[in-house]
Amino acid sequence: MGSKKAIIVVVDDSPSMKTVFERGTENLEVELRLFQSAEDSWEYLERHQPALLFLNIKMPGRDGLTFLKDLRELPLHKDTRVVMISSKDYAQDRTVASALGALEFITKPTPIRAITEVVLKYLKADPV
Amino acid sequence: MSKAYLRFWGVRGSYSAPFDTHLGVGGNTSCVEIRVDDHIVLCDAGTGIIPFGNEVLKQAADQPKVKDLLIILTHYHWDHICGLPFFVPAFIPNWNITFFGPGHSKRDIEEHVSAQMRAPYFPVGTETWLANVRYLDPPKEQKMDWGPLSFSWRSVHHPGTTYGYRIKVRDKSVLYISDNECLFLDKSIRQKYGEFNAEEQALLTEMQREEYESEIKLIEGADILIHDAQYSLEDYHKKRGWGHSCYIDTVNTAIDAGVKQLYLYHHDPNYDDQVIAGIYEHCQSIIKERNSALECHIAREGMIVDLS
Repeated sequence: MGSKKAIIVVVDDSPSMKTVFERGTENLEVELRLFQSAEDSWEYLERHQPALLFLNIKMPGRDGLTFLKDLRELPLHKDTRVVMISSKDYAQDRTVASALGALEFITKPTPIRAITEVVLKYLKADPV
Repeated sequence: MSKAYLRFWGVRGSYSAPFDTHLGVGGNTSCVEIRVDDHIVLCDAGTGIIPFGNEVLKQAADQPKVKDLLIILTHYHWDHICGLPFFVPAFIPNWNITFFGPGHSKRDIEEHVSAQMRAPYFPVGTETWLANVRYLDPPKEQKMDWGPLSFSWRSVHHPGTTYGYRIKVRDKSVLYISDNECLFLDKSIRQKYGEFNAEEQALLTEMQREEYESEIKLIEGADILIHDAQYSLEDYHKKRGWGHSCYIDTVNTAIDAGVKQLYLYHHDPNYDDQVIAGIYEHCQSIIKERNSALECHIAREGMIVDLS
């Protein structure tokens, strides 16, 4: 019986970042689910906890920090592992993300290997 | 005849600049009144809201509807909220003051508005406000109506969650984007381009295009754009990553987006009237060189723009 793949959710409106995530995870035993906005991802995330959730910050609709606060109010996402990925390389954004329990803050532009490394880091630490 | 206009009550960014060399442009921090008849929306509540409050008190005797105010906040940095402790209508019964701004709930917004008035930072808290004060929960659809005005918002590039507002006034679109660092990712990519391999560089070019399109989409269709233009090119190089635009990026993006009227806003408090006059002249030369029809203005305290 094959093992179940870990699900990685990405909420980011950038089509080029979609490619970065696809390339960064193509050799890993994970399943990628990509959404373009907080609103698009809500129906899925209301019912599922991914192994790792990547959130962009500046997006159409709810921004990633406000969305993370919404998610943390759901018991399902109290402890979900979240990595912020944003061009907003500001101390205030890092502080707010950290206070909301984000594990990492990756700045754009992002090398493909950075995605591979962070996924491996968290899935190896606590494989699903 | 019904009237519609906007008025700049505060045009500075960062902190107020009450210096005699600066008063041609104005010294108060961010606050813009948008009015259709007696319906008033205030964009931000920097020190400019203090003289607005004193003026609207005089009008309330014969225009009671002006006692119903909506204040929309772009974010909660001090220069955008520091007029509130001295905003007299908030301390008078029978005024109705409604707040909206970034936040996950109305409790969040209330917390952010109230925090600056807590001891030891101020002698009285917002519990001493006698007006009927309420805070709006963010609606899912990201837009709201306020009498004859309607507005929507998007997050912009500035530290913390910060909104830029699109306000519909009759048939005009007024965009209020006080704090926004234009094309930040583009500059990050230019700095780091050499660190990426060929495949990634192709993606970075796509990313630059996406960011540019996103900036254009943010402001396209604007009849009036009030936008961050805080820094000269020289200062922008020193302060890149502080969350504000170089005025050259602001004017070029406005030209590209086909904006009709641009008001350069959130002026650096270190810039006196002479420096800002130089910025204006340079913007005019950019507009001429690009053969654009953009009307560009310096936002000045007391300036009124007709919206009828």
